Amino acid sequence: MIRFEGVSRRYGEQAAVDRVTLEVPRGSICVLLGESGSGKSTLMRMVNRLVEPSAGRVLVDGRDVAGADPEELRRGIGYVIQSVGLFPHWRVADNIATVPRLLGWEPARIAARVETLLELVGLEATLFRDRFPHELSGGQAQRVGLARALAADPPLLLMDEPFSALDPGTRRGLQVALREIHAETGKTILFVTHDVEEALALADRLAVLDQGQLVAQGRPAALLEGAAQGPVRRIFGEESLAFHRLATLPARSLARVGDADGLPMLPADATLKQALMLMLSENSARLALPAEAGFGGGTLHWTDLVTAR
Amino acid sequence: MRALLANLLLFGAAMVAAPYLGPLWHALFPEVSRPVWDSPGWFSLLGEHLMLSLGATLIAAILGLGAAILATRPAGRALRPLLDAVFSLAQAVPPVAAIALSLPLLGFGAAPTLLALVLYAALPVMRSAVGGLDAVPAPVLDAARGTGMGSARILAQVELPLALPVIQAGLRVALVLAIATTAVGAVAGARCLGTPIVTGLANGNPSWVLQGAIFTAWLALIADQALRLGLGRHSG
Amino acid sequence: MPSQPAALAARLPLTGTAPPPREAMAVATLSVLAVLAPLVLGVLSLAPNRLLSPRAAAMPQTAGVIICLGLFLGFCLGTALLARRAAWLGWAELAAALALCALLAGIGVAAGEVLRDASPAARATPAAGFWMAMLLLALAAGCCAAGRGGTPRNFMVAVVLGFGLLWAAGLLGNLSVAREASARGAEIRAAAIQHLGLSGSALLLALAVSLPLSLLALRHRKLEAALMGVANGFQVVPSIALFGLLMGPLGALVSWAPGLRDWGVGGIGPAPAVLGIAVYLLLPLCSAFLAGLRVVPPALIDAARGQGLTEAGILRRLRIPLGLGVMLGGLRVAAVQAIGLATLAALIGGGGLGTLVFQGIGQLATDLILLGVLPMVALSLLADGGCAALQAALERGP
Repeated sequence: MIRFEGVSRRYGEQAAVDRVTLEVPRGSICVLLGESGSGKSTLMRMVNRLVEPSAGRVLVDGRDVAGADPEELRRGIGYVIQSVGLFPHWRVADNIATVPRLLGWEPARIAARVETLLELVGLEATLFRDRFPHELSGGQAQRVGLARALAADPPLLLMDEPFSALDPGTRRGLQVALREIHAETGKTILFVTHDVEEALALADRLAVLDQGQLVAQGRPAALLEGAAQGPVRRIFGEESLAFHRLATLPARSLARVGDADGLPMLPADATLKQALMLMLSENSARLALPAEAGFGGGTLHWTDLVTAR
Repeated sequence: MRALLANLLLFGAAMVAAPYLGPLWHALFPEVSRPVWDSPGWFSLLGEHLMLSLGATLIAAILGLGAAILATRPAGRALRPLLDAVFSLAQAVPPVAAIALSLPLLGFGAAPTLLALVLYAALPVMRSAVGGLDAVPAPVLDAARGTGMGSARILAQVELPLALPVIQAGLRVALVLAIATTAVGAVAGARCLGTPIVTGLANGNPSWVLQGAIFTAWLALIADQALRLGLGRHSG
Repeated sequence: MPSQPAALAARLPLTGTAPPPREAMAVATLSVLAVLAPLVLGVLSLAPNRLLSPRAAAMPQTAGVIICLGLFLGFCLGTALLARRAAWLGWAELAAALALCALLAGIGVAAGEVLRDASPAARATPAAGFWMAMLLLALAAGCCAAGRGGTPRNFMVAVVLGFGLLWAAGLLGNLSVAREASARGAEIRAAAIQHLGLSGSALLLALAVSLPLSLLALRHRKLEAALMGVANGFQVVPSIALFGLLMGPLGALVSWAPGLRDWGVGGIGPAPAVLGIAVYLLLPLCSAFLAGLRVVPPALIDAARGQGLTEAGILRRLRIPLGLGVMLGGLRVAAVQAIGLATLAALIGGGGLGTLVFQGIGQLATDLILLGVLPMVALSLLADGGCAALQAALERGP
């Protein structure tokens, strides 16, 4: 879907992005993880040409974006940013309708689309349609921002630290909502964050940037497996690395066949991290895993968890 | 709104009545032989006063807004220091000095006043518009660009509407300034509500001065009231 | 380790990588226009006598004139080039001032040449091109100063010094403004002193009213609303109308109590002028005082109270020292406004430099208008610069 080919961006002497080559497969959530100033936002903003690369090229659907009309390109790519960027003088419905209006949709179609989208992002249409941005909470505003990005049904979504300014509870709620929307719509999402837990909660694929360079990429589990060294180790936090690794592995990967009677029950798609948390909170060294298609159910043992590599 | 209408009516009535209030002016200024201002008539003076100040404010608004828009575009950044320099220079030269200086070039009449008016009224509009456009939050602009709006559309639909309250405040200052400067223009021969003041001062006729001063001040207060009303409605 | 030539190139100022300051473009354009203005509009004009209107005169091609104009050209170019580096903006300002002085010297010398074979009644005056060039150079200096984040004091000091030198050297004596000035020297000095007196007393009066009122308004919301309402309301009334309105009541007061006349009170004269000016200074002064007194965040005031400081102590130790900069800013605005407003005082017999301006308007005599306006502008620039220097000294702090 997106291909970065040897992309660099220099500001004077400084290279904000340094020869990055990265592929984002169609339908995946790819998270760009890095500390502030690592160049992750700059890299993302080259996709919709808010930043032009100094070298290399960016391909969307096999076509170089440098050849596209910037405004037309942007209308076909959803864009969500941290401070939401809702137009303060427009109502929620008008904000969501921005791109459909630019594309010249009919009013009836726009109105229907706004209803659908508000429902999709979990906001009651009748309640929120006519509000102004300043009448929304941070989480609600970000949901509207997401709806606006999805308005014209773009196949690709760029999200620049969209949840960073929210409190932890709201943030988790939105992460869950985003995964659901992703499962429902199958969009390709490029997501920028500096938050390791958020990255692991969302990512199908993870790309780690440090000082403008791509230092690691791949599936989260593979990326964290043993090989974590240098900047990756620092970014994930030395002492919590093992903990993060547990978050990338499914609980069923360590399941044993056994008697699960009376044990605390994990959800089917739980990770090992969730399993550890449940063990700690339930004071139980064993957990039960429910049976599911292609998996017969079983139990999870504390000893397996702590010796897992 | 009602207060403004009442004020306007009262103003009009006073203008109609002023020439017939001979006894009152006689009583106030017993030593003046011709205390009633009669020609040109008050309404013709008012008309010329409004034409000058409103016309100048309109030109100034277009100029000031244009300069501000230009200076806030990436390509017009070089204009910024120039506008600042003009602004601080203009503060050292009061409008009456500008009128006096352009008098030898433009001659007696409305022309020097109009020049000074446009110059001085454009500055507050420009100042406020630059401030208002600068204050549009960067994330909003980023989002607007990111959704694929063109720069002309961003200006018309996002930047100008968001800067409007500040620009309006600048316009108010400009109009009040224009009405005051027009009155001073009487010194250079512009016909306006300041004419009775200047003529009265030159001929030692305090009655004319008082009448002109009352109407000039009143007009300025009405204009301010009207603009406040417009402002309040927008921000409310 | 970088190679020798590369390292050398990095150290050379002209090939350095620092981009020119954003003022560079504006300054260059203004300097070029300043060179063009005299060419297009002419710099010198000649009138057969004091009353007839002047006609453009050709510049005599003597060595002195050519040297002066060459210097003018060079300094204009220098201004444009020096402004290309942020660190040299101060020098660019100086170059603009020197260009101005060179042009002034040029027309001074040229006036002498032209008048030599003319009748004794003939007068030489600077033409539109000279004034335009002066305005453009002042703006260029203003741009440079904006780039350095200050007032164009290099420019002003250099212009004043240069002007003084040229005057002392007798180079300007043949210009008609100079002739008018030396004929009316005493009159101008008196008017300037009167002008300062008018604006100074108005400023003192406004200070005496607004300081205590601001202190009171700090604690009484209602008083603050009333104070700002009144100050704002007065701002709307045109000054010429206010002077007119004050004449009546003050005149009546004097006819009721003639003894007051000995104190200078009356419908006509300095009293209504000072009162009228002072009224307009209330807004800048009060709003700056209130803003200055509120510079200290409430949390800090709370902490001070918690440590047992009295209200007077908080005022003396916190509010005033920390808010002084803001308050001085208000004083600066008020001082400049006072000097401008005092011009109108001449209309109601208050005297000051306005007298010369209005006389000039009456006779359509450019020289007289200039002799009123130029010292007035100089005074207001001086007041502005003085206050700015005070502010800067304060910010640097003890």
